[in-house]
Amino acid sequence: MTHIHTSTTAPVIDRPVRLEVSALKKSYTTKKGDVPVIEDLTFDLRQGEIACIVGPSGIGKTTLLKCLAGLQPITSGQAMIDGNVIDGPPEELALVFQEYTRSLMPWLSVEHNVKLPLKHLHLPAEERRQRVTSSLEAVGMGDAAQKYPWQLSGGMQQRVAIARAVAYRPEVLIMDEPFASVDAQTRFELEDLCLRIREQFDMTILVVTHDIDESVYLSNRVIVLGQRPAKVTEIITVDFEQPRDQLTTRALPQFAELRSKVFELIRKAG
Amino acid sequence: MSTALKRVLIGSLGVVLAFGAWQLASKVGPLADSPMPSAGEAIAAMFRLLTTVDLWLSALDTLVIAVLGLLIAIVIGVALGVAIGSSPLIMHATRVVVEFLKPIPPIVVLPILVLVLGPTPIMGIFLVVIGGAIAIAVQTSAGVFDTDPVRKATGETFGMARAEVLARIVLPSALAYIGTAVRVAAPTSLIVAVVAGLLGGGPGLGQSLLQAQLAGNQPELFAYVLILGLLGLAFQGVSSLIERRVLHWHPQFRKENP
Amino acid sequence: MWQLTQTSEFLIDIGSSLANLVASFVIASFLGVLLGLVLGTMRFLSWLLEPAIHFFRAIPPVALVPIFVSLLGFGNETRILAITVAALFPVLISTIDGVRANDETLDMVSKVYRLTWSERLFQVTLPAAAPRILSGMQVSLIAAFVVMIASEMLGSSTGLGAKTLLAQQTFAIADMWAGIILLGIFGYLATFLFDLFRRRILRWYIAAQQQERQL
Repeated sequence: MTHIHTSTTAPVIDRPVRLEVSALKKSYTTKKGDVPVIEDLTFDLRQGEIACIVGPSGIGKTTLLKCLAGLQPITSGQAMIDGNVIDGPPEELALVFQEYTRSLMPWLSVEHNVKLPLKHLHLPAEERRQRVTSSLEAVGMGDAAQKYPWQLSGGMQQRVAIARAVAYRPEVLIMDEPFASVDAQTRFELEDLCLRIREQFDMTILVVTHDIDESVYLSNRVIVLGQRPAKVTEIITVDFEQPRDQLTTRALPQFAELRSKVFELIRKAG
Repeated sequence: MSTALKRVLIGSLGVVLAFGAWQLASKVGPLADSPMPSAGEAIAAMFRLLTTVDLWLSALDTLVIAVLGLLIAIVIGVALGVAIGSSPLIMHATRVVVEFLKPIPPIVVLPILVLVLGPTPIMGIFLVVIGGAIAIAVQTSAGVFDTDPVRKATGETFGMARAEVLARIVLPSALAYIGTAVRVAAPTSLIVAVVAGLLGGGPGLGQSLLQAQLAGNQPELFAYVLILGLLGLAFQGVSSLIERRVLHWHPQFRKENP
Repeated sequence: MWQLTQTSEFLIDIGSSLANLVASFVIASFLGVLLGLVLGTMRFLSWLLEPAIHFFRAIPPVALVPIFVSLLGFGNETRILAITVAALFPVLISTIDGVRANDETLDMVSKVYRLTWSERLFQVTLPAAAPRILSGMQVSLIAAFVVMIASEMLGSSTGLGAKTLLAQQTFAIADMWAGIILLGIFGYLATFLFDLFRRRILRWYIAAQQQERQL
């Protein structure tokens, strides 16, 4: 049923597994009985990898994320992060939300927003300050530390949200359609930011997106979901060179090939 | 057991506990020696009062003052509000005066009214009107001012005369604001009516309350307060119901009251 | 009239009214927010106490004054107690409302980043509820003001309200007008100052709302 499409093996394949999802199943219990949303998902994520989850609208991508983030209980099967079973929000995970405006605390400055999740980690003050500064700089918001979210544009707010996640130093970073609500230009910038973050912090990133181009551009592997209830249709390896570039990478013939393939899979499954 | 039923039961338990605590406090502890009556005495007094004609007449007095005053306040308030809200010039000109008058509760002018009108029902009605009209006028003018200009333009395109635009487009959309204002003004009217009686010597439950206090009749005093509370709840309930009935179609109302 | 306002007597009255109002309002706000936080977060407690609270809220606060007078006499404590109780309920109820209404996204953020319960309560829930709480405080302020006047008219000989009523009863018209105008200014100033306070605290909220409107 699932084929792993391989051309050349990416070096990522040798690195340790950070996130492991096996036969994950999720149903909601309603008055009319159980409604299965996710039938059987199996995939894994290795250190330093960026994987994108794509699929037709409403297939349950957000539900999957909530399960992985421990916000929703898994009905059967399991998800493990760093070998620990996920059954509540795991320490090693950070999330960047689609609604960036609502995910930042408007009464806190940028600096305090980024600092908030660090407080209970009991870090020495110096290290905490260091993390905040370096994360903000990494996302290009180095001199906005004293500003407030409402003084920033949408793209900038999302950067702050990413900085907050990065400062947390999670093992796995999950992003839920993070660039869906920004304009196209900002979107390209943020995609590249994503790649840079992975480079700089050797972070493992899982991105849910409905933008096929984006998924091919960013990923080491694209996980295509299909059918209702959701299953993994195919996992496609994307083996372009790093570092990627918006102009040249997207101009590669393989890019168009892969993107058609993904599109095809989604269309068939939807 | 459904959640709703659970809530009602637990809530009732809470009320019972509250009365129980009251009963306890009146027998034991620092308040035992005070003139405070026990819950039992107060409730008994309340039931006794409820059988007297006087009580119902007083209640009627208060209600009439409150309702009549409210209705007049609505008429004056809406008229004023429409007048102010239709003209940006007047809006800005009256803004300062309105901002000053808005936070002043009617109780402040009570002495004048008593002086001029005496401790009469009219005084009570006047007081209620003053209390409600300003707030309603402010809200109405805001509602009129904020009417979607696109809708107004649509009306004008269809050849509606100014008066028609006013009646058929502006007023209905401002109705949500007016509804809110009335909903807030309703319980206030009741309170002001009681104040008129209590402090101004006008008729009604406020007056009865005062008499009970002067006579040192503690159980009755507390009984009146309980009755006022029930009356207040009933009043709120009825005005909520009316608002729902009148405004159930309005999108703003539906947004706030799913 | 202006001469009257200069007399030391009036100043004492003004001071007494002011002190009562401010002290009671502050106490009521504090208590209201505290209790509101507790009730807003503990569902069982709120189910238990809320109907009773709503009943008490429905009682015209002015009606409580005779009760306190009969229990505690005509002293200052009566006035403070009456004002505090009257001001307590709007703040309490709006705090409960504010604490309960949580934004789903902020909720998820708190959970994913594993904030401790005290961080969630004091650094997320409380600031998020601030707009509602402050609206409630605004209502409380007016209620406190009304009861302040009522408590003075009913059970006291000091205070602006008391003096104004006295003037009315003795047909000292000029004094009465002075009292009324002063009360009016009092009320306006109190609301004005509170509004400044509110703007300062809710700077972020006001700005965020403006941004939303522009989008």
